[in-house]
Amino acid sequence: MAATAETVAAGEARRPDRFVVATAIVAGLLLAALIALETAPFLVGLFFVGGALGVGLYHGAFGFTGGWRRFVVHGRGAALRAQLALLALAAVLMVPVLATSGAGLTGAVAPVGLSLVVGAFLFGFGMQLGGGCGSGTLFTIGAGNVRMVLTLVFFIAGSVLGTIHLPWWLEQPGVDPVNLAAGLGPGGAIALTLALCAGLAWWVTRIERRRHGDVERRLLAGPRGGLAGTLFKGPWPLAWAVVVLAVGNLAVLLLAGHPWGITLAFAIWGAKALQAVGVDMAQFEFWTWDYPAMALADSVLVNVTSVTNFGLLAGAMLAAGLAGRFNRASLGRIPPRSLLAAAIGGLVMGYGARLAFGCNIGAMFSGIASASLHGWIWFAAAWVGSLIAIRLRPRFALAND
Amino acid sequence: MPETRRYSPLRLVVVLLVIAGFIIADHVGSPTFRRNMGEGGFETTLTQRESQAAACAPCGAPCPSERKDD
Repeated sequence: MAATAETVAAGEARRPDRFVVATAIVAGLLLAALIALETAPFLVGLFFVGGALGVGLYHGAFGFTGGWRRFVVHGRGAALRAQLALLALAAVLMVPVLATSGAGLTGAVAPVGLSLVVGAFLFGFGMQLGGGCGSGTLFTIGAGNVRMVLTLVFFIAGSVLGTIHLPWWLEQPGVDPVNLAAGLGPGGAIALTLALCAGLAWWVTRIERRRHGDVERRLLAGPRGGLAGTLFKGPWPLAWAVVVLAVGNLAVLLLAGHPWGITLAFAIWGAKALQAVGVDMAQFEFWTWDYPAMALADSVLVNVTSVTNFGLLAGAMLAAGLAGRFNRASLGRIPPRSLLAAAIGGLVMGYGARLAFGCNIGAMFSGIASASLHGWIWFAAAWVGSLIAIRLRPRFALAND
Repeated sequence: MPETRRYSPLRLVVVLLVIAGFIIADHVGSPTFRRNMGEGGFETTLTQRESQAAACAPCGAPCPSERKDD
């Protein structure tokens, strides 16, 4: 998530925007009622979990994109440490559940190969230009950020293109999914995950201390105001967001049967749009596979990822309304070069997300929380892509704040 | 009302209605809606979910059923 996302929740508190709050609640309840009427109770639950995730992302200003950039550019590591704490907590919560669930639940475990490395690299590159990652794009749109709508449109286009090319990429060198819990046991996988998170947090802290002489303590900071006011109007302490996102991912796992994902829905939405204008998507191998073929043919209201995304959008809109900041990130003129960056970033992110089996949420967060090796490789490859794109941001009139 | 509202409430409502229109149009053309209307004999997302013991994670990787063909 980018500066656009983070600036949304920064600054002084404002009065709630009652119109946005009411609109978000009414729209959310109507959609929840439609889902309840037409589908299954677990999907209603997922919609509300998505809403909670949207509130957590917005009020916590939980930035993957911005957090990475802040560390690279300014040497400040609070956001990065919060992400590592999130990965560690989610692994502690989810690995035992996956290990004891039998065949009922499936982790985010995906192949490791050239497709993953190239896709994650592209995603990391694209998220710095696009101004947000998978979750960042969605929650900033929910908060009324107009520029991010352009990012999403191109994200969708890139996702569809990625699905068309994915079978070719899967023929390139690679190995089957590596589940660390299968090799090391659940306890060993959790211990390894905690050790890696702790090691990275130590490295981040060491660099921050060397550069600034001190270390930000935002992760452990308490609320700035009263408890109720902070809960509803934000901004939240980072630790609150960490807990909500980790527990939210566990809730998605328990309700849906698999962890939280975001970006496959974008490919489905794009493929549905193409199909609506007469394109036969069945000519592309990806759309003949069981899950994508059914997701394309059936309603978005029974698609787990779409329903969670709808909830996330509504939750972010509600949170932005409560904070009195809806549409705040869209004030002022948006430079054309920034719009070009949004388009390029969105397209590259979409393509990369399909090659890498998801975004920072579906592949990195859920992958690592499922003890899948591909989550860590995604992290490393996306980091390299981000490093390059951060240097390019000023050329697109994007501040490296 | 916030003192610096810069968006158009009407435009916001119209955007949400357009999105709702797309969702409903997609739904009424779906197998799930047809099954809800009493038709049968075809698979839906929910029946596919029940028939597969292990849910296939929606990460875009090939499901086990496709990987057998490799």
